[in-house]
Amino acid sequence: MNKSPLEIRFAIDSDQQYLIEWLLQPGVLRWFPLTDLREIEDAARIWMSYAKQEAVLTALWDGIPCGVANLYLQPYKKLSHQSLFAIIVDEKHRGKGIGTKLLGELMTLGKERFKLELIHLEVYEGNPAIHLYERLGFQQYGMQRKFVKDQGQYLNKILMQKIM
Amino acid sequence: MTFLPSFDIRYSELEDLASLEEWFLDPSACNDYPFDIEEKGDALKNWIGFSRFKASLTGTLDNKPCAIATLFLMPYKKVMHHCGFYLMVDPACRRKGIGTSMLRNIFHLAKTRFSLEAVHAEIFEPSPLLPLLEKLGFQIFARQENYMKVEGCPRSRLLLEHFFNE
Repeated sequence: MNKSPLEIRFAIDSDQQYLIEWLLQPGVLRWFPLTDLREIEDAARIWMSYAKQEAVLTALWDGIPCGVANLYLQPYKKLSHQSLFAIIVDEKHRGKGIGTKLLGELMTLGKERFKLELIHLEVYEGNPAIHLYERLGFQQYGMQRKFVKDQGQYLNKILMQKIM
Repeated sequence: MTFLPSFDIRYSELEDLASLEEWFLDPSACNDYPFDIEEKGDALKNWIGFSRFKASLTGTLDNKPCAIATLFLMPYKKVMHHCGFYLMVDPACRRKGIGTSMLRNIFHLAKTRFSLEAVHAEIFEPSPLLPLLEKLGFQIFARQENYMKVEGCPRSRLLLEHFFNE
């Protein structure tokens, strides 16, 4: 039986360069609140800072990073039973089930290692990833109007959560 | 607002951290914030750090700080047309209308200095701030149950927003 080309491992420092590369893809960047390289590097640094706590997972396709998902673990005890997360998949590897696998592994990590009871996300209206989140049992609990303003156009932010 | 002849408002300074720390000495002061008494150090430093951008106002009574309201400006261009805020009133100076005055002034600053279109707030049920926010025109856009746990007891998070031109 052939080995799947898709593997998941904990993120390492060198994955940050891939994260920056994917965020620079216009089809990816439009779904993030970032505009230029300075902002992208700042966001990627914050994102990868959670790797120290082993709260960041990297998907590999034939051994090459193709996606990253992280838990923004809460810094305060009163909030430590829940976490926001983010996920990104290289545009070139869309439609291969990478997001589903990555998010499934991230939820397992959150539940088993960090004892999370609630996991939640923020996504912009119109993002096709909403279908993935719904399929995995996430439900909308709110919507923030006009969250993003990009070249004079507004986008609403949808807030979704899943009880673990 | 009760007429308080010695009440004034100025931009916050980094030194106002001492007042914030003093008001948060009582453990119950952390009840309506995500941090607890052991965690407040960094949170309060981050809070007063926005004074560097002139995004924080300090209310004074007889030149002594009695309240601080701060805009937590967003770091990225696509979202810098709105932001969240924090408010703290000295426990000894409550129920005099100081909180209302601070919020009106910080929202004015948001509109005029930072050209913000909206502000949003995160509060935890039950919150004494809810009636004031509703009075000022805030509307709830999300309610998340079990967001916070205090000694095992769940509290819901309410997210509210207020658009200045709607």
